[in-house]
This record gives sequence, structure tokens and C-alpha cells, in this order.
Amino acid sequence: MNETRADMEADPEVAPEVLKARFGRDIARDFDLDDPMFNDRFDEVLTFMVNKCPISFSKVGTGYHLVNTNEQVRRVAQDWRTFSSAKGYMPNRPEGLPYLMPEESDPPMHTNWRHKLNPHMSPKVIATYEEVIRQDCNVLIDTFIEKGECEFISEFGALLPGWAFFKNVLGVPIDDLAMLVEGVEQGTFALPAEERPAHMARVFTYLDTHLKWRATQPKRGDVIDTILEGVIYDDGTEAPWDHKVSILVDLTFGGIATTTFVMSSAIHYLAMHPEVRQQLIDDPSLIENAVEEFSRVFPPVIALGRTCTRDVEVAGTEMKEGDFVMLTWGAASRDPRAMEEPEKIDIKRETILHSTFGVGPHRCIGSNLARLELTTTIEEWLRRIPEFSLREGTAPVYVTGFLRSMRELQLVWPK
Amino acid sequence: MRVKIDGEHCTGHGRCAKYAPNVFILDDDGYNADRGNEIDVPEGEEENAKRGMKSCPERAITLVAE
Ligand code: HEM
Ligand code: SF4
Repeated sequence: MNETRADMEADPEVAPEVLKARFGRDIARDFDLDDPMFNDRFDEVLTFMVNKCPISFSKVGTGYHLVNTNEQVRRVAQDWRTFSSAKGYMPNRPEGLPYLMPEESDPPMHTNWRHKLNPHMSPKVIATYEEVIRQDCNVLIDTFIEKGECEFISEFGALLPGWAFFKNVLGVPIDDLAMLVEGVEQGTFALPAEERPAHMARVFTYLDTHLKWRATQPKRGDVIDTILEGVIYDDGTEAPWDHKVSILVDLTFGGIATTTFVMSSAIHYLAMHPEVRQQLIDDPSLIENAVEEFSRVFPPVIALGRTCTRDVEVAGTEMKEGDFVMLTWGAASRDPRAMEEPEKIDIKRETILHSTFGVGPHRCIGSNLARLELTTTIEEWLRRIPEFSLREGTAPVYVTGFLRSMRELQLVWPK
Repeated sequence: MRVKIDGEHCTGHGRCAKYAPNVFILDDDGYNADRGNEIDVPEGEEENAKRGMKSCPERAITLVAE
């Protein structure tokens, strides 16, 4: 295991020509999150990066560093003064993409909003959604259980998180979900990247309209009313309207773009591992721990960025003020320096340390909701469809950038 | 056993309370209610407390030397 940039440079396995022969590019010095090779050899690349490249670099666009170890990711994520979110989380940010609050802001502005929003997303409040989510799992399963087959993503995985978020948090009809999911997906993965802002714009327009409409309605005391109420920033000014819209966009983005991947990967894993399935059926109290382990090894948010506010050194690499730095959450969650046998998927792990939901002040505000959706899905799926497998001759289809998503998962079970 | 919960670094992952609900309590925002303070771990809860500490993605909980 290499600890610093110097260790990495001295390691013959990380020599440029060795990497080019093995991965088709020098992933230590010129990594690309959008490289199809990364999509195809995801686990292998992440494991190599965390073991061999404590820090790596990309020459794509204006270039960016990637911080890959558990300890350094935590250090950088917690030090928001040196590593600012205010210039965005995307490397080579396309022109015209509006900034998202609270994600792309720093304290104290960020703290103002989080204080306001956190009470709506706490474990206690989220727990009250459990019955609705459980019902929705069953409504969805009812639509295909008799067929003995389904395409999991379009028939369940892309729907449940949206339903859970729309019904319980946003309070909007689920009819418009497909359009928003499409907008968010294309806004994230569309290539060339210059096309992404136009897709995101649709999402902004829709939510802006919704927020304006809600401002004319009687108060419900929900998160929308809280957003409308707004916050006063430390300089005494009120949060402007576009900040409010972007809060709603960020929540929606998180609410529909991420949980699907953990869910689909978990169901895929269970389809392939009947013995683990049986353990969970025999003892459903293991499911919560399994969800934590699945979140660790199937991260939908691979890496998000920060901008250096001053010159700084990380793991032996000098970074300059203005440099862009990606925090590779997905690598930090499989760091052998921080956990035993990270490459092994073990639902009975004693302690599970991971950074799938981020680290530092921007810790995912939806983490409690995501965990509830995942637990409930596995509980209800195994109760209704205890035996299932991958359709023969098919394989899951993935797409990867700074997020990872599954596009197709064909399942079959005895009718 | 005595532990300290860092007031700045706790960001409300809630893992500590999952593993050691009798030791770590969450406030209405879902953050460790004792952040910024030291607490005594009740007898018999040491193992749970350690699991909670090790699972905290922020490493916000640390042992206080007696
Ligand atoms: C398995 C599912 C999810 C994963 C893996 C995930 C991951 C993440 C990560 C890594 C961050 C950190 C951002 C940063 O450090 O810059 C984050 C932030 C955020 N997430 Fe999630 N998320 C998930 C589900 C959700 C859900 C369901 C929602 C909404 C209900 C949501 C809303 C947000 C928001 C609003 C932020 C920004 C928080 C801030 O900047 O303070 N996420 N998420
Ligand atoms: S696990 Fe850590 S960050 Fe999360 S609530 Fe507990 S102390 Fe705070």
C-alpha cells in the first residue's frame, strides 16, 4: 500500500507504461471519470486506486486531483475552509449550469440552510414515512409479480425513490417523475457534457414553477414551506429566490438520482447469492446491516469536488490555490488501511465504515431516507419474491461518470 | 470508559446511535445530542460504544484517557 505521492511514484506497478498496458491509460497521472474503461472495470480500478494511488491526477479539461484514501478524504472533506464547495462539485463544470444549494456553498451560508432543513430529514421524521414506502414497494411488486419477470430498474428501482421523495417530502404528484428522472439523468451523464445544462434547466423550470405555486397555497408545514420561509444569511440579507429554487433542485436531484443504484446493485447481488438471500430471509434483523454494507460497496456517488482556497499539501502532493480536487468516496470506502478485507462483501461485518454518503458538513441530508428505502425494499422484496435470479444470457448495464448508475437489470422467478 | 464527541466534526450520520442506542442519543436534527461534550459509557455498553465509534465516518468520537 502506498501512503504518499512519493511512494506511488516509486512503485513499479504504477509506472506510466505499466498502467497504460494494463488499463489503456495512465490512471495515476491521467485518470478520466468518464472513460468507458472505468465503467467496465469499476471495482478493479477503484481497488487499484485506493491501494496504489493515495492521490492521482486527471488531465481532462483544466485537470483535477483525486484524493483516494479514507483518511485523506476525511481530512479534505472536513476542512471546508481550505477545500471550498462554492465553486461546484463537478470538474470542468459546463458553462451555464446554475449552482446548487446547499451542496455548492460553504459555511456559514451552508450552515444556515442545513439548520433549517435538517429537522425535516432526521431519522425520527423519516421513520414516519415507513408505512407509505412499504405500501409503495408492494404496489410496484404487484404490477409484475405474476409475470415471473421484470426489468428491475424501470419497473421498480427508478420509481420507488421518486415516489418516496415526491409523496413524503415534496408532496407533488408522481405523474411528472419520469420527466424529472430523465432530466436529472441526462443532466448528469449526457455526452458531450455541454448538453447537460439544457437538461438540468428543465428540472429547474419545473421546480421553480412548483415553488411559485406553493407560495400561493395555504401552509402545510412541510419542507417546501420551510424553503419558502427561507433563511437570513449572516450578513443580514434574505436568501434570494434562486437560492430557494436551487435548494429544491438539489433535494430532488439527490432524492431521485442515487438511491436507485444501491437498490439495484443490492437486488442484483442477492439474485446472484442465494445463500445470502437465505440468511436475510431467516433473520430479517440482518437487513439493516446488509444495507450498510451494500451502501459501502455499491456507491452511486463516486466522487465530488472541492476547490483549494490556498496552497496546500495532501499526501505528499502540492496543490495550488484554485486547483480542483475530487474526493473519491467510492475508493475511500474500500481502504484496507481503515478496514479489514475491504474487497469482501460481508453483510455480517462487525463495524462498517464508509463514505458513501459523504463526509464533513455536506453529509448527505437524504441519508436517513435512502437507508429506509433500501431496508424496506429488501424486506418486502424477499418477503414477496424470495427466490429470483438474473435472466440467463443478460448482465446488468452500467453507466459511470462522477455518479454511477445501472440502466438495466433483467430478473426472473418461478411464477 | 469515557468518550468525547467532537462538536464540529459530528455531522449527523447517526451510525453511533444505530450501534449503541443506549450510549449515543440523536437530537431532533439527527446529530449526536452530546456533541461538544464528554460522556461516560454505561457499564456493559463498551463493545457497542466501540462499534459506534469505529463506524462514525467523521471519527468524531474518541476515547478520553482516564
Ligand atoms: C444511496 C443514496 C444516496 C447517496 C449515496 C448520496 C450521496 C451523497 C453524497 C456523497 C453527498 C455529499 C455531497 C458533498 O460532499 O459535496 C450528498 C449530499 C446531498 N444529498 Fe445525497 N445521497 C443519496 C440519497 C439522497 C436522497 C434520498 C436525498 C434527498 C432526499 C439526497 C439529497 C442530498 C442533498 C440535498 C445533499 C447536499 C447536502 C449538503 O450539501 O449539505 N441524497 N449525498
Ligand atoms: S456517527 Fe459520528 S457523525 Fe454520526 S451522529 Fe454519531 S458522532 Fe455524529
